[in-house]
Amino acid sequence: MAENKHDLKEQVRELIYNTCIHLDDHQWEHWHDNCADNFNYAIRAFSPEVQADIKYHGGDKEYMQSITSMLSKHNSDQSPLRRHCTVYRVEIAADGKSAAAISSLAVYQTQLDGINSHVDAGTTSVFLVGRYNDKFIIDGGSIKFEDREVRLDTRRLDKGTHWPI
Amino acid sequence: MSSRNHDQWNATPDLQQGEWVDSKIYSDEEIFEDELKKIWSKTWIPVCHESELKEAYSFRTMTVAREPVIVVRGKDMVVRAFLNVCPHRGNMIERRPSGNYKRGTPSGTPKTMTCMFHAWSFDMKGKCVNISRKAEGYQDRLNESQVGLRELKCEVYFGGFVWVSLNDDIGITVEEFAAGSLDVLAPSLNQEPLEVFHYHKAIIPCNYKLWHDTNCEFYHDYLHYHNRITGFNEAYFARKNSGFDGGHINVGSFEVQYDNYEGSHSREELSFPHLPPNHWYMIDMFPGVNFNLRGSALRCDLMTPLGPNSVMIEFRGLGLASDSKKDRQTRIDHHNSIWGPFGRNLHEDLLAVTGQGSSMHPMAESRKILHGRHENETIHDENGMRHYYEEWGKLLNRSPSNPDEKFKPYPAFKEQEAQRAAAAGK
Repeated sequence: MAENKHDLKEQVRELIYNTCIHLDDHQWEHWHDNCADNFNYAIRAFSPEVQADIKYHGGDKEYMQSITSMLSKHNSDQSPLRRHCTVYRVEIAADGKSAAAISSLAVYQTQLDGINSHVDAGTTSVFLVGRYNDKFIIDGGSIKFEDREVRLDTRRLDKGTHWPI
Repeated sequence: MSSRNHDQWNATPDLQQGEWVDSKIYSDEEIFEDELKKIWSKTWIPVCHESELKEAYSFRTMTVAREPVIVVRGKDMVVRAFLNVCPHRGNMIERRPSGNYKRGTPSGTPKTMTCMFHAWSFDMKGKCVNISRKAEGYQDRLNESQVGLRELKCEVYFGGFVWVSLNDDIGITVEEFAAGSLDVLAPSLNQEPLEVFHYHKAIIPCNYKLWHDTNCEFYHDYLHYHNRITGFNEAYFARKNSGFDGGHINVGSFEVQYDNYEGSHSREELSFPHLPPNHWYMIDMFPGVNFNLRGSALRCDLMTPLGPNSVMIEFRGLGLASDSKKDRQTRIDHHNSIWGPFGRNLHEDLLAVTGQGSSMHPMAESRKILHGRHENETIHDENGMRHYYEEWGKLLNRSPSNPDEKFKPYPAFKEQEAQRAAAAGK
């Protein structure tokens, strides 16, 4: 069982890292495929201004599929976002049917068309920092995201983005 | 003529007074300083909401016309505003964005605002209650009664928003200042206490008026797929854009077809008191405030101009304090889907004004920014911006279309048309 748990932890890590690549590269369908039907997504931050936990974005799997499918209809900042993620902790439930993970996250933005492309395109800056707090369902050989909370430290997002983090 | 050379580009547009402004008003340092002095330091500015100051001794800090301001709720539950400046050596007293003085601070006792520098303390009414080692240093030459905080005009008005003025001589209440522009939403916002459920801020490299312009005109719906698909019907284009004294406007309502947006649903399940389901009103107050009620969620934009080409915008979302957990979550989701930092519309609006800010720098060849659409004062009429800049011109005594010249009152549009026809010999 210990060896199995070790394998499962590795699989969870691999899923988190692969999902970073999918999200970086806008492979939204791959991301959705790795989410359970009851998946829930939220971006949150604590606001010391109003002393409250603020939900910035989120929804269930159907909602996230819907908004990613319509991105081409919206005017967006197309400056790429790249995730640097380190999985800090993976815990496998005693029954081996679920898991939770905490990952540190930094997202960098390389300007393309968000400001003045002639001057700014190619400039990289930190877009946000925070953590992924993930929960997973393990069913046989399959591991899927059940819940992802993107817990932000950064609260000044300026122009923001249309893309999930 | 198709494309234009320098002279043609700089020529006065063949439009009436008020139907264009010079881009210099969005980039000039001297004009910006003039605005802080003659507008932002003189008028009422909403700075936060009372739900951010729920308990006695709670506080919020902010900046108005570069002045650090603190708003506190006293033990008598009255909200008061002060300059956040210690009268001793000018240090900023409170550095945190919010908190509560029931607990002491490293330099101060509980229930006082204490400057950490030399531990001078003040009560919630701004009275100095402690000058450390007073007798040793000042003997009997100075006492607490001479060194109170600088109190500012403060009112809680319109659904619990906290309004502050740096101008002791303002002479009018917030209600008088609003000149009726808020009346359209007053029944919905005053029926019961509201509560802030969303806050985020953005610092955008553009002039504050460009953000206000965007809020004042709906012609930019072409920017928003969401608005086009859920609006753009006869009722939408019939919405009235009405001006009020003082440069304020409001925009009439219609029923938004939320379910036209793929994956979205009607929001008729949840609204505000006295607001028909799925309806949408907007108020734009001079010089830079926006109240935007879309059925289930109230949005409020408060601007802090930081420079000719920099503005901080604070975005708040509000619901009813009495909301059930389920209703509150619904309001949050509705709000975020459009107006959160990851929402469909806000990102698009901020991209557009960032582009304007990039184009309008002090050395730029003059741009004549057009505000000339007339559509019977309905949604794509640009009367809202014309109305704003008439007030702006009056207060600064500068012509918005040539800010180096003195302001001349705008004749009514019909009079302008008559003058134009007469000049053309018609």
